[in-house]
Parts: sequence; structure tokens; C-alpha cells
Amino acid sequence: MRTHDVVVVGAGLAGMRAAIAAHEAGVDVALVTKLHPVRSHSGAAQGGINAALGNETDDHPDNHTFDTVKGADYIGDQDAIEILCERAPREVYQLEHWGAVFSRQEDSGKIAQRPFGGAGFPRTCFAADLTGLVILHTLYTVCVKYNIPTYEEWFVTDLVTDDVGNAVGVVAYDMIHGTIETVGAKAVVMATGGAGRVYRPSTNAHASTGDAMSLALRKGVPLKDMEFMQFHPTTLAANGVLVTEGARGEGGYLLNKDGDRFMTKYAPNKLELASRDVVSRAEATEILEGRGADGCVFLDLRHLGRDRIMERLPQIRELAIAFAGTDPIDTPIPVRPGAHYHMGGVHVDHWGAAPHMPGLFAAGECACVSVHGANRLGGNSLLEAVVFGARTGEAAAAYAQEARTPNVPAHAAAETQARIEGLLVREKGPRQGEIRDELSTVMQEKVGVFRFDGQLREAKATVTELQERFQSVVVDDKGKTFNTDLIHTIETGYLLDLADCMVTGAIARQESRGAHSRTDFPERDDEQWMKHTLAYLDDGEVRLDYSPVTMTKYEPQVRSY
Amino acid sequence: MATTTFRVFRYQPDSGESETYHQDFHLDHDEGTTVLDALLRIQNEQDGTLTLRYSCRSAICGSCACKVNGKTVLACMTQVEDAKAESGAATLQVDPIGNFAPVKDLVVDLSPFWEKFKAIKPFLIPDGPAPDKERLVPKAAMEKVTKESACILCAACYSECNSLAADPEFVGPAAFAWGYRFAADERDAQRKSRAKLYSGEHGIWDCTRCMFCNERCPKGVDPRDAIEKLGAIAFQEKVTKDKGARHAKAFLISMRTGGKLNEQLIGGYTDPIGGAFNAPLALRMLQKGKLPVSPFTHKVENADQVKKLIKNVKETI
Repeated sequence: MRTHDVVVVGAGLAGMRAAIAAHEAGVDVALVTKLHPVRSHSGAAQGGINAALGNETDDHPDNHTFDTVKGADYIGDQDAIEILCERAPREVYQLEHWGAVFSRQEDSGKIAQRPFGGAGFPRTCFAADLTGLVILHTLYTVCVKYNIPTYEEWFVTDLVTDDVGNAVGVVAYDMIHGTIETVGAKAVVMATGGAGRVYRPSTNAHASTGDAMSLALRKGVPLKDMEFMQFHPTTLAANGVLVTEGARGEGGYLLNKDGDRFMTKYAPNKLELASRDVVSRAEATEILEGRGADGCVFLDLRHLGRDRIMERLPQIRELAIAFAGTDPIDTPIPVRPGAHYHMGGVHVDHWGAAPHMPGLFAAGECACVSVHGANRLGGNSLLEAVVFGARTGEAAAAYAQEARTPNVPAHAAAETQARIEGLLVREKGPRQGEIRDELSTVMQEKVGVFRFDGQLREAKATVTELQERFQSVVVDDKGKTFNTDLIHTIETGYLLDLADCMVTGAIARQESRGAHSRTDFPERDDEQWMKHTLAYLDDGEVRLDYSPVTMTKYEPQVRSY
Repeated sequence: MATTTFRVFRYQPDSGESETYHQDFHLDHDEGTTVLDALLRIQNEQDGTLTLRYSCRSAICGSCACKVNGKTVLACMTQVEDAKAESGAATLQVDPIGNFAPVKDLVVDLSPFWEKFKAIKPFLIPDGPAPDKERLVPKAAMEKVTKESACILCAACYSECNSLAADPEFVGPAAFAWGYRFAADERDAQRKSRAKLYSGEHGIWDCTRCMFCNERCPKGVDPRDAIEKLGAIAFQEKVTKDKGARHAKAFLISMRTGGKLNEQLIGGYTDPIGGAFNAPLALRMLQKGKLPVSPFTHKVENADQVKKLIKNVKETI
């Protein structure tokens, strides 16, 4: 069995930033990832990373904090948001020092910053529309420089706990060699990203199946605020591929089929740069009321001109041509809201530590600190990944330095092996693909931008029925080597767990807040519902509990843009 | 709706067979279906053992490079109907990328690719301590490396690389694009040592300039251009002892002096000692009239014009 002081599961932005921080703190840290690190979905982030550098106009972390608190619809923890915004400049400078190729201002050579949704100042640092890719690559190059051991294409199947319930490692399937392995550790950092694949369409990668959340949930760790799924206002109709908010930050318009800039009605001050929940609801309303075209509205970039588009939005142009057959230099792009970012996740404190399980940490989209509350601002997800990735790596290293040698159960891998063999031996039953298709379709139709009790209960019934069918799921591929059929089947089990938590939380929350918009409860209800949802799994049933929101100096206000 | 036959490369190591073969799958699909979507539908509906790497399906993660009718593409970025129209065939043959050993079906062993990437020191090595804020970099200077920064490490260029086919140790296009990305980054202090590291055996001068990497890169990185720019950096840093660099220099001298290529001069200058071992080749070339008898051949008519051209080019670089 391999052991390390700290093992980090997932090698996107949060995971690699955590590993680098732990390495710099002097502990032996390893990365385990089901992909190669550079394949991680952080690389698909386009528009940018927020930090109050004040390069374009005067700005201050306090402004950033207020915008984030408001964007979160007052259910983000304000102490955590202050940490996020205060550390932001330091982390962006650190990325720059490590070589990130940020776009620059014309004269000064400073990092350029663009306006973004829900922000009072141009605060979003960017590398054209490849910001996620550039930062992902930058962190990977640092991991190469530090020679951080990385178990690539190892799919984690279990979180391992000792006899008193502390996290002491993971079990993983080494896809290339076809073996089941245990990696023991004094501290486990989960950083596996989002669960966007619960929905279809989704901007998320096929690999975004929320693995860590389900692994933790099954070991008794609660998940927080699972009902809050963000729908991004501009995704391509054909396949849900993302079109960055940077397109509107650079000055793009949203038009309905009559050519009206409809955001004047919904957000007269911020227009297209209102927060994402507001813009997505506006688009959905336009489409529902018959002012869309084929279920879409239009993103118009023509007035930006060829040069601006080629310099600032080259990838968007490439994707629009490839997947929508549209060159935005000449023609508006048909877009619609699509599942994009999950605000909920493993319940952790602002050091990334899970209060319910010593030794377990989580960072990035799979974690819920919470800084995004009910709605994340564009440009804050890359930021959260690096700020809380770094803090979590530091905290996990400190924990590991104090912890005793982990008592890893010797039979952990053998148990997993037996479970997988039991699954592979089954010959008759449904395949994972059909279960996943039905799940993502019902979530899209009934747990979408607008929700109400009747549909949510129908969705819950479907999820329960799919969970039952999943009990007899069949894997076609019986081989040991690179068995993606097996992996997809296990992932589908994760998605079912997470969908259940999302729907159950959504049924209970009888108010509208941020991305959770109930047509039967259209108002925010601070008296009853200014609290975090905690979802536990008890004998296969989701049980809900609640915890208070931390406030520092920002009293809830009416939220308008 | 359209119907397509996919002739897919298969290799199933767990079946006990070491044989590779192609298997036909027929699929009805929408006009806009991508090759990746089609393969995933085959996987879901017809054969769960069909194996490939993929993730983002938006041409940014670099997982799904494969060959479609012999041409390396990203499966997620290629529409089935477009590929059929381009090749004029109703059947799409899907193969793993070239120049790597198969692991299973379309999955190949990329470890040599990652080892080469790591070997070029793919990280910024600045001089002195970092400032409190960002390093100031003029916009134009930063833009010198933005094209190469868009490399997604999909290995499509390695799949198409003729130098790699001849020499498996050749470092390769993507790694050199990254090498240039650091060598030309004004924040990096290792320009000269990078020029040395990237020269030598299996290095930049071993590129055959077939241009396939430029042509097939799905992200427009143009790795061959990066290799060429690394060559220029090597000259600027006076890293010119390399046989490849001497060869390039000999071309220049030959053109500048005589206005045309002088094979004797080039052979002698490139490798004065080793060149002697090429005497049998030289003899055969002489017999076929491919080599001038005297190294002091006459100048072409407008040799001074060629000289001017070279000067102009130098000034614009």
C-alpha cells in the first residue's frame, strides 16, 4: 500500500493549488486523478478570475466582498467571502509569478481587467477567453517543477475511514494497469469538481460527476446547499457548450427574436451584466412568453468588430463556428440558459475542513464553504478554487504534521474489489447510459431555472425509481484494463445520490433565492430560510438539517440590478 | 437524419487476443452529430466495451484526438457529415492517434508524450525575487507567446509527426511549442540554456519541416513555427555548435556568397569530420550530377539581389 502525508483527489485548479500549498508547507503530498491533470474541467473556464487589483479603476476587496454577498443573495457566509476577496490579489499575483499569461493593459504592462456580471468595477483578470486553461496549465507546470507524485487515470471508488471514523485515505482503480489500490494518508483533500452532469444539457465535461460529494455523503458527511444549481445564461443550443460571460463583459448584447435588448426590462441598471440567475430567468421568461426562437435568444457581438473578437474572444468564435455554424463576427449566436455551476458541496469550514470527519478536507466546486451562497458571480469560481485550494492545502498539511500514522484498514481494497466483481458478474439489467439519460432529462425539465412543488415531487419520484433500477445495473465490459463502462456506471451511482439531495433540498426550500426560483414561493424569505441546507444520507434516504449563515457587516437588502 | 458506418480500430487486451482489427458499427444520427457523440452512442447502445478517452466535448481538454479517415482530429470538434464530405467516403474509419502504442481500442500509451513535455523544463524560471504585485509585461511582449499558450496537449501533432516516426526519441512539436512559450517569455531568464536544451540530438534541428503539425493542430498553435522561432533564438543566443544549427548557417553562407545552394560547402560546413564518412554518398551524387565538382562554383547572375533579400528578412525578424 502506498502512503503519503496528504492525498489530494482531483487535479484541477483547487486540487493542484492544494497540493502545491501542502508541498510548500513541507509535507509529502500526492495527487490522484481520474484524468490527466491538464484534462480537468477547470481548463474549460473561459472568462476570468476576479481580484480587486484596481488596475482599471480604483477598487478594493471590500467592494468585491459586497458584490459577492449580494450576488449570493445573502446566503453566503460573509466571513468566508471576506477571506476570498482579501486573498484574491495575492493569489492572482502568485499565478502571474508562476508564469500565467494574463492579458495585459496596452501601456502599463499591468494585468488587464474586464467588467463581469454582478460586479461594480472591472475586476476580472483574464487570458483572452482561455483563462481556465492558462491557470490550469500554470499550476500543472508548478506541480511538474516540484515533482509532486501524481497517480494519473486512477479513479477513486471509496473514501477510507479508520475505526473511529477519521479519513485515512482512498481506494482507487488504476485504469491503465487494471488493479484496485489503496492510498493511505493522514489527511484527504477532495477536489473533484462539480456535478453538472446531473443535468442535460450542461456546460460541464463528461467527467463532472461530483464524485467527492457522493464519496463523502456515503460516509456520513453532510452536503450543503445542494438545491442551488446555477444556470449560465449563454450556452450553445446544440450541446450546451459554454459561451463566456466575458462576451457580455466585452459589450455583447442579448436580443430576443424581435431584436429587442430585453434586459432593459429585467435589470435596467446592469442590463446584460446583472448576476447570472437574473439574466437566466429573464431569458427563460422571454422564451416561455414566445419571444425566443427555437428555444433560444441571441447573443449579439457584431458591434464589437472583428479585431476585438479575435483578440479577446477567439475561442468563442471557434466554438460558435464549430457547434452552432455561426460566425459571431457576422451573425448573433443563438444561446439559452444551461446547467453550469453547482454552488452546493461537501460541508466544510473556511479552512476546507469537514467538521463531521477529522482528516477530511474539500476545496473547489465539490466543496461548499460557502462563498457563493445561492448564486455565484462570474469570475469567482477560479478564484475560489485557488484561494480555498491554497488554504485547504495549508490546513491539510498542518493537520497531517500533527496527526499520527494513519490506521488504514487492510481490507479496504479487497472490499472494493469484491464489490466490483459482484457488479461485473451481473448479466441482465439496465445499462448505466439509459439511467443517466433519464435522470439528466428529468432534472432539466423539472428542477430547472423555474421550479414548483408538483414538478419537484415528480422529479423526486423519478429519481427514486431510477435508484431502484440502478440496483440491477449491468456493465457490458468485463475487462480489467481501462474499463470506462465500469467507471461510468459507478459515476451514475454518484449522480443519483446527488440528484436526490438536490431535489429533496429544493422541495423543502419554500422560497426563491438566487438560482433556486420557486414559482409557488416567488419571494425571498429571510425569516424562515436564511440558513444553509445540510443533506445527510441515512439508510439510503436523504435527511435534511439546517445550519446558520454567518453575517459580519452586510445586512440583507432587496436585490436588484 | 443520416446513416453512417463507423469502422473502428479495436484492441481488447483482456480478451486474451493480441490481435488488432477493425469493427463496423452502423448508426442513424442527426446531421450535426460529432464523431465523439457518435462513438459515445455506439458505446451506450451497441457495445459498452468500446473504449476511448474524452471529457470536455468542447475542444479544450485535449483528450479525444484520434484519426478519422487517416487524418488526426479532435473527435468532439469534428462533425460526422463534414468528415464524410471531406474524404468523399460514406464510411468513417476511426483509428487511434499515430506514433503511440495502443492500450485498448482508441486509448494509447501517452507516457512518452508526457515525459518529453516534462523534459523541456515546462515552467517559468525567472531571475531574482518576484515583485509585490505582477511583473509588468508590455502587451505586445505577452502576445508573443499567447498562440503557443493555447496548446491543449492533445498530441495530434505527435500523431502526424514524420520526424517522430523516424526517430521515436525526437522531442516533438507540442513540447517545443511549450519550449518556445517559455524561452520567448520575457519573464523567463533561461533563454540561452533553453536554446541549448532544445538543440542537440532529437532536438529542434531534427524536425523535417513536413508542416503536418501546423496543418493538423486543432487549436492553431503552429508548432513548426515555434520550432523555427526556437532556431532563431538559438542563433541569437549563439548556440550554433549543433550540427543542425551549422547546417542552417551553411545554407545562409551559401546563399549569401553565391546566391544559390552549394552542396559541397553545406556538407563540409555542417559536419567537417563526420562529413568524410559520407564520401560514398558524395561520389554517387557526383555521378548523378547532383553535386558540383568544385566547391568554388560560379555565382548566380543576381547574387547581390539575394544578398539584399537576406538583409531585408534579417531586419524584419
